[in-house]
Amino acid sequence: MKHPFQLLLANSKGTHLFVSVKNHLQVYDLSNGNVVGSWSDTVDISVPSKKQEKKVASVEELKGDKKLKNNDAKPVAVAKTPVPIQGATPIYNYIRSLNLSKDEKYLVGTTDSDKAAVIFEVDLANSENCLKIIKRQIFPKRPCAVSIGDDSDLIVADKFGDVYATTIDSEPPVDEKALTPILGHVSMLSDVKFTRFNGKKFILTGDRDEHIRITNYPKAYVVKNWLFGHHEFVSTLHIPSYDPSLLISGGGDDYLCLWKWYDNKLLAKIELRDLIAPYLTEAHMPAERFLKPDSVKEISITKILTHSVDDKKILLVLCENTNCILTFEIAGDFSVKHLQTFVTKDSIIDICLEETSGRVFASIDREEGDLVELYDLGPDGQLSVASTNMGTKITEGNHCQVESRQNFYPLYYINTLRKRSEH
Amino acid sequence: RAHSNPFSDHRLEYPRSPEDMKWEKLYPQYHDKDSDSMLSKVEIADIGCGYGGLLTKLAPEYPSTLILGMEIRVQVTQYVEDRIIALREKHKDDEVNFQNISVLRGNAMKFLPNFFQKGQLSKMFFCFPDPHFKQRKHKARIITNTLLSEYAYVLREGGVVYTITDVEDLHIWMAKHLEEHPMFERLDKAWEEQDKCVSIMYNATEEGQKVTRNKGSKWIACFRRLPTPEDCD
Repeated sequence: MKHPFQLLLANSKGTHLFVSVKNHLQVYDLSNGNVVGSWSDTVDISVPSKKQEKKVASVEELKGDKKLKNNDAKPVAVAKTPVPIQGATPIYNYIRSLNLSKDEKYLVGTTDSDKAAVIFEVDLANSENCLKIIKRQIFPKRPCAVSIGDDSDLIVADKFGDVYATTIDSEPPVDEKALTPILGHVSMLSDVKFTRFNGKKFILTGDRDEHIRITNYPKAYVVKNWLFGHHEFVSTLHIPSYDPSLLISGGGDDYLCLWKWYDNKLLAKIELRDLIAPYLTEAHMPAERFLKPDSVKEISITKILTHSVDDKKILLVLCENTNCILTFEIAGDFSVKHLQTFVTKDSIIDICLEETSGRVFASIDREEGDLVELYDLGPDGQLSVASTNMGTKITEGNHCQVESRQNFYPLYYINTLRKRSEH
Repeated sequence: RAHSNPFSDHRLEYPRSPEDMKWEKLYPQYHDKDSDSMLSKVEIADIGCGYGGLLTKLAPEYPSTLILGMEIRVQVTQYVEDRIIALREKHKDDEVNFQNISVLRGNAMKFLPNFFQKGQLSKMFFCFPDPHFKQRKHKARIITNTLLSEYAYVLREGGVVYTITDVEDLHIWMAKHLEEHPMFERLDKAWEEQDKCVSIMYNATEEGQKVTRNKGSKWIACFRRLPTPEDCD
């Protein structure tokens, strides 16, 4: 069977779709469903790279000594590539994030394998392969999220809590030991957003300890303020393109927060539990070792999107491992009204939105059939299945075969951010 | 157990935000019941207060200011709580009644902004911090470039960071990071000599007294929190 698509990202004109599946990136031309770009992360994750280098060096040395000492061509023991112990947690070549620059000339992906940000030049005129890798910048710790500022700033947040600034260009990468963070939380970061307000630049960061921090930029040593409102981890930060003074945040809570982030003001909490409850399953219960008598099914936010349709401001929310998309309308007074629970046949892994027409793309978790579905967001803010077979065409372009579901990468990992107290 | 891992101890309690913190539980005599508000705010924080020696010596010096010790170790925090309860009981009719000092178990590396508003503190003490000698543990040190930005946030302009240690390597590390951070400026020896907190810090803590008994050296470095740059919010 085919491995499902994971990350999805459409360009603003809706002409191309960028996707990830396991350790591969693909670019689809949405006029005909053809694959016009591809890249694979071929870094070998069975052996940490430093150990690989050391082993090669010691084998070389051994060969050298032997040559001097004697003339018999005795076979030299070759260092064995260590095999993971049976039962050890498998590691995956995740491509953890995908972002396009504002001018959409660059695509940035982050790889778990070598903890790098991979920067591609996107040349849509090149139908052989529109992706050309121009820099692979390795970071000290696994990048979790990136945000691309204007002026080619690439802001990278890592799992250790640090944020680095590097540049989108074809300059050689900096030695990761020479990199210093521009700011840091003592907590795993989950999302980062570069934004502008009142002519000034800011960086917003969300972490596992419920924090959303607003920091000045480039003087990232000056914190502006924290936004307090979440009781569980923050996983997703979204700034609507139609109003950059707003922030919508979500994570492990039963609600989203709508903020005027610059003014440190919580405008609304958008309650989700009653709406999503019918779509939560046993898979949303905590793992057995964390189960308590009062445990409930847990909500985690995978994606927050917004779209302006005829002056109607629509909010779309994807909760992790559910087969629906929730839509809301944000009114002028910032009250939020539930519009629709758009139900799909199978769980949705990721969604993205194409700005121009409001078309929504969804990567679907299923073993046969279309792995991408397309929906239209109508002027009434309602989603409906789009009448197109593009989803089938894109599925045909997926050649990532696996034996069974057991070989899928873990598709839903946001809930692992939830803190569990020992008991 | 002596150590608590500041990165992953999830049993800690902390308020949702500074506005949610119930300071009346720690400083009952400074709570005005009629208006349900505090008559004073915490302005002095002892980060890693250990057995509370510094708190007890600072109490009489700042009678109208609230002083808070933060400690991550459970048993040590309990000791200090009991110590303060005993002092308050013993001195309840005295001028210095120790009602303005308190302690809580907290992780200052993660949750200072949950407790303190922007610019709330006028002094922060870091006395004999854990050196975390190994290179790979340096990120666990209480003074790092990234943490200093958070300390600069809770400290007001002109506020002072006090550091003291008997580990020269740690002193060099802390001084270097504070010197490099654009929001802090080193205070010189002349300043140290006229500041009463410096002399209190030198002798007040149990760790400090142990160093004196063992004829060890103590290194001090103090820094002023500089004004926020004009172009920053």
